[in-house]
Amino acid sequence: MAVIQTKNLSKTFRVHKKAAGFKGSLKALVRREWLEKSALQNVSIEVSSGEILGLVGANGAGKTTLVKILAGIVCASSGDVSVLGHNPWQRSNELRRQVALIMGQKAQLWWDLPAEDCFLLLRDIYQIPHNQYRQNLEFLVESLGVQDQLNIQIRRLSLGERMKMELIAALLHTPKVVYLDEPTIGLDLTAQRAIRKFILEYRKLHKPAMILTSHYMEDIEQLCERIAIIKEGKIVYDGELSRVVNKYAQHKILSLEMAGPLTDSIRQGELANLLKNLRAEVLLEEQNRVRLKVARSDVAQVASAVLQKIAITDLSIEEEDIGNIIEKLIRRDGVKYDSGPAS
Amino acid sequence: MNLARYARLYGHFLRFSFSKALEFRVDFYFRVGMDVAYYAMNLAFFKIIFLHSKYLAGWTDGQVTIFVGAFIVVDAIHMTVFANNIFQIGDLINKGDLDYYLVRPVSTFFFVSFRDFAANSFLNLIIAVGVLIWALARYTGALGWARISVFLLLILNGALLHFLVAILFILPTFWTHSRRGLQPLFWQTARFMERPHSIFTSPMRWILLTILPFSLMASVPSAVLFEPRPGLLIVGTAVVTVLFFSAVQWVWRKGLAVYASASS
Repeated sequence: MAVIQTKNLSKTFRVHKKAAGFKGSLKALVRREWLEKSALQNVSIEVSSGEILGLVGANGAGKTTLVKILAGIVCASSGDVSVLGHNPWQRSNELRRQVALIMGQKAQLWWDLPAEDCFLLLRDIYQIPHNQYRQNLEFLVESLGVQDQLNIQIRRLSLGERMKMELIAALLHTPKVVYLDEPTIGLDLTAQRAIRKFILEYRKLHKPAMILTSHYMEDIEQLCERIAIIKEGKIVYDGELSRVVNKYAQHKILSLEMAGPLTDSIRQGELANLLKNLRAEVLLEEQNRVRLKVARSDVAQVASAVLQKIAITDLSIEEEDIGNIIEKLIRRDGVKYDSGPAS
Repeated sequence: MNLARYARLYGHFLRFSFSKALEFRVDFYFRVGMDVAYYAMNLAFFKIIFLHSKYLAGWTDGQVTIFVGAFIVVDAIHMTVFANNIFQIGDLINKGDLDYYLVRPVSTFFFVSFRDFAANSFLNLIIAVGVLIWALARYTGALGWARISVFLLLILNGALLHFLVAILFILPTFWTHSRRGLQPLFWQTARFMERPHSIFTSPMRWILLTILPFSLMASVPSAVLFEPRPGLLIVGTAVVTVLFFSAVQWVWRKGLAVYASASS
């Protein structure tokens, strides 16, 4: 059963329009023109317990607005929204006790205090029984490896450590719904990996319904089985991540390991002949390796031609990088989108 | 139960504020120096008037000194308990930093109004209370304990009213998206609190007793000590406070309905 549910959700912001320069400022002082900016249009999604929905889209596509409506921060202009059976906009304490929000770009902890002091405040805010608080804190601190940083002022921690503390702060009360808005933004690769690993562990243990927004495709690939692509406020794809590849990937990558060095004669002879009549392009040439981008329909033909005409020791066929496919989907106009079964 | 929970939360805010304030000693001493100068200047201002006149709109020197003690206590409570929070509310609204407060299962209004206790002003509050006790002790007329109790309650009420009016000046930030102008306007207007209401004539006096109730914060509580029949003043103060409290809650709810947060 869906824990998070929206139906035809729309949000419009009213923004004022100002012409450039001082003259424009003067004009705006006397008479102001207003524009209705649509941030979300008829968004319908569902997220179940234990599921992580990846919300993917360019900057300004409406991802954060959707998360903020679901968290009860911003009021929707129209449509229905239900989280654990509540309307988040009512901001009932019963719902807020079961929800967590983590924003990679905004800190929730007191800058001048050690994290543990902030956690004690959160214990009283969420009315977590003392034993449960101890257990949860121990689990979270151990999983994220920040035992030694608990009593250090937040402002003295590294960005990665701070983000881990933010995660602990958000999950201390074992929420049933978790919104993760760019939780790995600005972090180094080690910290990103640690946080992803932790999120997966946490999901396995507590099975919350989660929505994740991120511009890092690795986050999406490793954490989400299902994604919703949002473009200019509209959901243009909602379905399994793997389906995106099958449906929208137009190419595959052929990697060839040559028997000998890649000489000019091979490059201009066998390889050039091979590529002449097929839909394939060279992505990489180095020493004895070649990577080819081949149209999906031609893969078998290209592979067979390679085996016949070029001396190779190894051949592998890979899918196109999922991040590239999603990026194309987000950016390209005129793509015929096909929503998955969930939408 | 709920009250105990909020008292515990306030205990956290106090602990946080004291540990933060004690780190910045220069600010601590600077605040004490600045506020003591403010108290001394106000006492001196009225002393100079009484060098030239026996009464000020019917008030004696002793009565005015009690009034000065009353308004510096109201000011010190405001500076210690509310001022930092009110100062930050505009930024919280504009920068979208209300977000985290709105997702907590606790009153957002309580959180943003009380979270930052100005521990570095706490000593000033003690000094201000000392001045008020001194003013009451040196008063030569008769003051019954019942009247003193009502007077003290009305001073606390005055501090609450001061907070309510201050926050009403800042909440339009939800719509204007700028707190510039609003806060200086409040502080300019708030100076009416520093004058006894009897020096004003109608309609200014009525404005200061109702729409901009700065006279209800210290002047009317002091008058309750000396007026033969203070009942109407007490009831009027209570009614205005309830109306302002309701107005603040109403504007706060309306403001949250238009709160747009900020882009990330």
